[in-house]
Amino acid sequence: MGVKEIVARIEGEANAERERIVSEAKENANKKLEEARKEIELQKKRFIEAEEKRGVEEKERIIRAARLNARKLRWKVEEEMIGKALEGATKRIKDVKKEGFKGKSYSNILTGLIKDAAMSIIAGGRAGGELEVMLSEEDAAASFVKPDGLKKIADEINQDRGVNVRLSLSGERIRSAGGVIVRGKEGNIEVNNTFEQRMARFFTSLRGEVLKTLFTTLSS
Amino acid sequence: MVVEALKSIREGEEEGRKLIEEAKERAAKILKEAEEEVKRLKEKAREDEKSLAREISDKYAQEGKKEEKVIMKNAEAEAEKLKSIAESNLDSTINFVLEKILGLR
Repeated sequence: MGVKEIVARIEGEANAERERIVSEAKENANKKLEEARKEIELQKKRFIEAEEKRGVEEKERIIRAARLNARKLRWKVEEEMIGKALEGATKRIKDVKKEGFKGKSYSNILTGLIKDAAMSIIAGGRAGGELEVMLSEEDAAASFVKPDGLKKIADEINQDRGVNVRLSLSGERIRSAGGVIVRGKEGNIEVNNTFEQRMARFFTSLRGEVLKTLFTTLSS
Repeated sequence: MVVEALKSIREGEEEGRKLIEEAKERAAKILKEAEEEVKRLKEKAREDEKSLAREISDKYAQEGKKEEKVIMKNAEAEAEKLKSIAESNLDSTINFVLEKILGLR
């Protein structure tokens, strides 16, 4: 082999090695880029999924809040109208005192309330004795309840229940729009049948019935 | 003659070493450029994520608000309707309440 051939062989081998090194580097670089692109794409996919999930949650939160606000709006109307009904009833008590209600005079209404209170006291175990009836200043002054009326109520109760109670009008006055308080003379037992108390006592059950009556066309 | 030949071979070898050194340098440059490109792609992806997040968030918020508008519009209409029904039933309801508190029911 001549010198020229040897030199040519050395150059050829060096060129081949150079080609190999550069080609390997290009291959590695492309591989790195390809891997990075894949990783970025995967990361982007995961990111979009997470953001979509967050977005859906936010959308649902907005809708839930809107539905709650819608329900609040309905409750507001309900409460407003219940308030109007209760206020209207309270205001109309004055007319009831003058004109009666559903064919009953105010005196008759008070009689019913006195009897109801007295019966509750008897149901609580009392079989006799003195019960006194307390009225508001206004009702007492208008003499809606008279002693003979009380005697009649007591007689009816005694006859119905086989007890011996007496009813009298107390000199003590109550602060109320109307109605009565009946209590034992010893003051140990009392039934409050004033309108305010009855309204408060029946409020929970009344509320449902009032709602039904107010919005009856809608449900029917 | 022999000296000349050895010189030529040594020069050839030197030339070969140079070629390989250059190739190694070029290879290092290629890899470095690739790494820089990877870095740039990742930075761009991070930047893209910000606008993508805004875009997605806006899209769902808008959808939510659109639905909220419909819900509230319906609720307001229903509230008005309810109120009108209740107003027309107010008198009978007052009577019902009175019956209850006056002890007639």
